[in-house]
Amino acid sequence: MSSLSLQGLRRTYSATVAVDRVDLDMAQGELVALLGPSGCGKTTTLRMVAGFVLPSAGRVLIGGQDVSRAPPYARDTGMVFQGYALFPHMTVADNVGFGLEMRRVGRAERATRIAEALRLVRLDGLAERRPAQLSGGQQQRVALARALVVNPSVFLLDEPLSNLDARLRAEVRVEIRALQQRLGLTTLFVTHDQEEALTMADRLVVMDRGRVRQTGSPEELYERPDNLFVASFLGRCNIFRGTVERPGRLRAGTAALPCDGGAPGERSALVVRPERVAIVPGEAGEGGLPGRVGLVTYLGGLTDWHIDTPAGPVLVTRPTPAEGDALRRLSPGAPVRLDWTEAAGRLLADDEHTADKHRQGDPR
Amino acid sequence: MPLLLLPAALLVCVMMMAPMVLLFRYSLNLYSPTQLMVEALSPANYLNAVRDPYYRDVLGTTLWVALLCTLLALAAGFPAGYALARMRGRWKAWLTLLTIFPLMVGNVVRAAGWMTLLGNTGMLNAALRGLGLVGEPVQIMYTTGAVVIGIVTVVLPYMILTLASVIESIPRSVEEAAANMGARPFTVFRRVVFPLSLPGVVAGSALVFILCMNAYATPVLLGGSQFKMMAPAVYDQFVRTTNWPFGAALAFILLFVTLGLTMAGSALLQRRYRG
Repeated sequence: MSSLSLQGLRRTYSATVAVDRVDLDMAQGELVALLGPSGCGKTTTLRMVAGFVLPSAGRVLIGGQDVSRAPPYARDTGMVFQGYALFPHMTVADNVGFGLEMRRVGRAERATRIAEALRLVRLDGLAERRPAQLSGGQQQRVALARALVVNPSVFLLDEPLSNLDARLRAEVRVEIRALQQRLGLTTLFVTHDQEEALTMADRLVVMDRGRVRQTGSPEELYERPDNLFVASFLGRCNIFRGTVERPGRLRAGTAALPCDGGAPGERSALVVRPERVAIVPGEAGEGGLPGRVGLVTYLGGLTDWHIDTPAGPVLVTRPTPAEGDALRRLSPGAPVRLDWTEAAGRLLADDEHTADKHRQGDPR
Repeated sequence: MPLLLLPAALLVCVMMMAPMVLLFRYSLNLYSPTQLMVEALSPANYLNAVRDPYYRDVLGTTLWVALLCTLLALAAGFPAGYALARMRGRWKAWLTLLTIFPLMVGNVVRAAGWMTLLGNTGMLNAALRGLGLVGEPVQIMYTTGAVVIGIVTVVLPYMILTLASVIESIPRSVEEAAANMGARPFTVFRRVVFPLSLPGVVAGSALVFILCMNAYATPVLLGGSQFKMMAPAVYDQFVRTTNWPFGAALAFILLFVTLGLTMAGSALLQRRYRG
């Protein structure tokens, strides 16, 4: 039995379809991230689980029980809201204890569990403060404690890190993950930040325009994307469009590029991650893609090379070579050859849009 | 910035404070039927007003009508204010306009409307008799009930708009968080929405209570000659009996009772729900 199960979930607002055909089965203790650009339906999906939005079709099952039509207060979910949504007129302790009070937990046990939850999020000693007297990070942890203390069947997080500064965000990310694993909470997490999703989730659900585009582990989605949208949304990639010449070779203009299979004659898109591309300085050598160095961006541990090739601009990311290395001395205009293994060239159907931010030609 | 306050401050001082000071001075004068106002410095008017059972009764009526009307306006205004605050788009603009609409009609005109509606030969009685529900017309006009209905409809827009503006500032997610924690709708209201809208409840109630205490046209027109509230009583002293000193004293008693009760009530409500 799944801890949380979404079956053919759909939600329409008059003429617009916000969420369509969303299926998901979550195991006990699993953390799944709903990931996608704004307006992709991830938040609406989360709100259907919480009960703030009723599905137009499909079902929500929590612990095997159909709660599709149940009001929010009867669903036993614990949600952390984007703006935390703390009760400003109550102390930290009363905020955290609210859910216990609603569940008619006795005063003595309530006090113990509040103290325990506050210790868990490292806020002991602040129990009598009001939310307005706390920093953003502390408020965030109160919101976490409030949702955790009731030991919910499903733990829901709606962009919980978006209001924190970058340093705090990385810290809280680790903290939430550790807590979630320690307590074995089945967790559904909404984010538009792919790094957040990749680092925290057991599984990702990438959504676009109300539909699920692919579900899988971070590794699966990054290494073996099913479609151009997922490939371009997660991480950076180079996309080449062309026709399969023979299995393992895609013809893009004058270049024959290595790829993982394909049927001859097929119009396809080839996706290659920047860190899978090898650069060989000079014009000598057979095969591969010839090009000239454009912009070189030093990023510390990594370096980005923007290479102009007959098949279009290509982004290459490699660990920064040691001083004195031939690669290190490459300056704009220098001739190079690019190459990658057949397995690194993921062949996908060229029939749809990409996530705009990483479209080929303007690699970030 | 202080310069920007100057015009308003000047206006208040000249147009409001000066007449008030003058009126207070009058209230310490004495009245003689032949000379009308006689210069004096005497608390006699205040003592007379407090000792006279008639005026104690008028003040009592005023107080309890004002309290009742404030409570009724709060009870009716809260759901409306909440609905208005949570509404979106075109509907909201229209309904806000509709709420303000009654304020465009003067109190006297509105009271006249109620008279044709509630009178013995009015629409309500005609309907009741036509349906055979009553044989004799029901006496509604010139009762306390008519005055209360009239005043509540006058003050309701103020209550609704004050509450709506405060409720609007309560994030929806706070209500959702309470529901998510297992609170049913009424509990969400009692534990979250009401305490957070308290500034609106205090402001709205104070505003409405002050308006009710000073109601003039409605009690005169709907209450009839037997029904007396403070504002009409003050008017009578000034215009009918031309006893200015006593009228001024009554006016100041009304002012201080209203002020005192408004402040005490606000403090009490705020203390009660701060915890």
